[in-house]
Amino acid sequence: MIGGVLEIRHLSRKFGGLDACSDITLYIEEGERLALIGPNGAGKTTFVNMVTGVLPPSGGAIHLDGRDITRLAAPARVKRGLVRSFQIARLFRGMTAREHLELAILEREGKTYRVFSSVKRMAGVEDEARTYLDEMGLGAVAERPVGMLAYGQQRLLEIALALALKPRFLILDEPAAGVPHGESQRILDALDRLPPSLAVLMVEHDMDLVSRFARRVVVLSQGKLLCDGTPGEIMADPRVREVYLGVRADAG
Amino acid sequence: MTGKGALIDQMGVALVAVLGVAAFFVFPEDLGFMTRIAATALYVLSLDLILGYGGIPSMGQAALFGAGAYAAGIASIRLVQDPIVLLGIGGVVGGLVALVTGTLILRARGLTLLMLTIAVGEIVREVVNKARDYTGGSDGLGGVSAAPVFGTFRFDMYGRTGYLFALTVLVIGILVARRIVRSPFGLACRGVKEDPLRVVALGGRPRRYLIVMYGISGVFAGVAGAVTAVTSGIVGLDSVSFSWSAEALVMLVLGGAGRLCGAIIGTVGFMTIHHILSAADPFRWMLVIGAMLVAIVLFVPGGIVAVLDPAIARFRKRAEAKR
Ligand SMILES: Nc1ncnc2c1ncn2[C@@H]1O[C@H](COP(=O)(O)OP(=O)(O)O)[C@@H](O)[C@H]1O
Ligand SMILES: [Mg+2]
Repeated sequence: MIGGVLEIRHLSRKFGGLDACSDITLYIEEGERLALIGPNGAGKTTFVNMVTGVLPPSGGAIHLDGRDITRLAAPARVKRGLVRSFQIARLFRGMTAREHLELAILEREGKTYRVFSSVKRMAGVEDEARTYLDEMGLGAVAERPVGMLAYGQQRLLEIALALALKPRFLILDEPAAGVPHGESQRILDALDRLPPSLAVLMVEHDMDLVSRFARRVVVLSQGKLLCDGTPGEIMADPRVREVYLGVRADAG
Repeated sequence: MTGKGALIDQMGVALVAVLGVAAFFVFPEDLGFMTRIAATALYVLSLDLILGYGGIPSMGQAALFGAGAYAAGIASIRLVQDPIVLLGIGGVVGGLVALVTGTLILRARGLTLLMLTIAVGEIVREVVNKARDYTGGSDGLGGVSAAPVFGTFRFDMYGRTGYLFALTVLVIGILVARRIVRSPFGLACRGVKEDPLRVVALGGRPRRYLIVMYGISGVFAGVAGAVTAVTSGIVGLDSVSFSWSAEALVMLVLGGAGRLCGAIIGTVGFMTIHHILSAADPFRWMLVIGAMLVAIVLFVPGGIVAVLDPAIARFRKRAEAKR
């Protein structure tokens, strides 16, 4: 372990003949605020899926705190503090916001195989759920099925869920995607309050959000790491402009 | 559970007990039939645990019911007669069959899983059919008898003890099931039903949850089978048949899945209609049930409970206004 919380070495993934990710090497340290950007189809989601254990890599290795987790199942990675949020709010539509937080807390504590205890009577679970909800300004809608919540509220709940798992390493997949402008400030505020020791990797399109949040940015293009630097350096880099502007022009 | 449905769930258990005891006095001629309803309600409840709370579609629940029924029946002939012990045997065997088959088939999802549950049902039926020496094959297993309950209450020829026994087991079953679905484990299973991948992202193992829930469901189904065996004195091949599996699904959908009380209401409704119509018109009662099922699925997907909910909400509002 070279001081890195998460070490990704030569990570690759092929889909047929296509190199969705090739030879990606990235060290992410404790307390880091890192953004991963890149045009559509660059391989960002593929990369996140490999790191979280949803997709097996074709080559390379992932180490967490010096331990090889390349073959570790996805739930076991969560238990070790490697947590993600989803790009599209992916929630249990029929369950209330409070129940979401309770489930996350119970999972974290390893209490989900208790068949005969009552969630209501388990000390601290409901209170802790409330704390997380209040922190995100969701206290008032705690008892509503999440299918009835506004989209911005669902995004906040996504983040609250991830935080309730007490991660040490957090991957946020486009946390502000689809959120109206007034509410995205709330998400930024929430991100600002994240514990300083937590390492965060944010996958994002919005350069404005990236430059306000991240202290380091890596750019992915056609499955390869293109460059790595501060937001200012990255924005000034001609290669990045080319990749972005080129794609934007193509997309019209 | 949202506030609207909570009351019906709370009152449900007391109501089942009160109505069940009232029926004992009002219909003394129909105790045998009512005993079958009570045991069947527990069986349908077992299906609700996996379908309503785990999202596992099953058309093979009779395999678990039948395993418990035959286990209790064979044990009563060869081993013990104590009815409580027999229920225990039925529950354990039902649970084991569920754990073993669940571990094998719960890798699949959706339609494939549905087919696999049918396959398990057919395999269990064939095993029972072939093991004539133990099960009596197609002749069924006769002469199942149980000692008095707690050494005191003899199973009488009028079926009084049988009915109260089955009713008591049902009420206890509902209480236990309610406890399970409100537990952390129940919450995790509801999560799996809605989105297994989201549960993974929270650090849970969906398949493991489903296997455990399937096992629990097997215990309930096995106990239901044992109750049937003990109270009726016979176990037949129909208890492991495909149609018995399918009927459980019909009763659950009629009543409303995912609510526990829906299983009870659906069973009582289905079996009562069946009882009345099949006596009046043995050939066309299926048509009525079929039409009812189509109407429910099309117009009230939540089942009969969903129809009752607004009425109960109104009743509660009035009760609160009085206070
Ligand atoms: N399951 C898959 N099968 C085949 N090709 C895929 C699959 N997933 C992604 N790809 C391809 O890999 C490339 C990278 O995709 P993705 O990781 O989703 O990019 P991004 O998230 O940066 O938009 C794309 O060309 C995409 O078409
Ligand atoms: Mg993507």
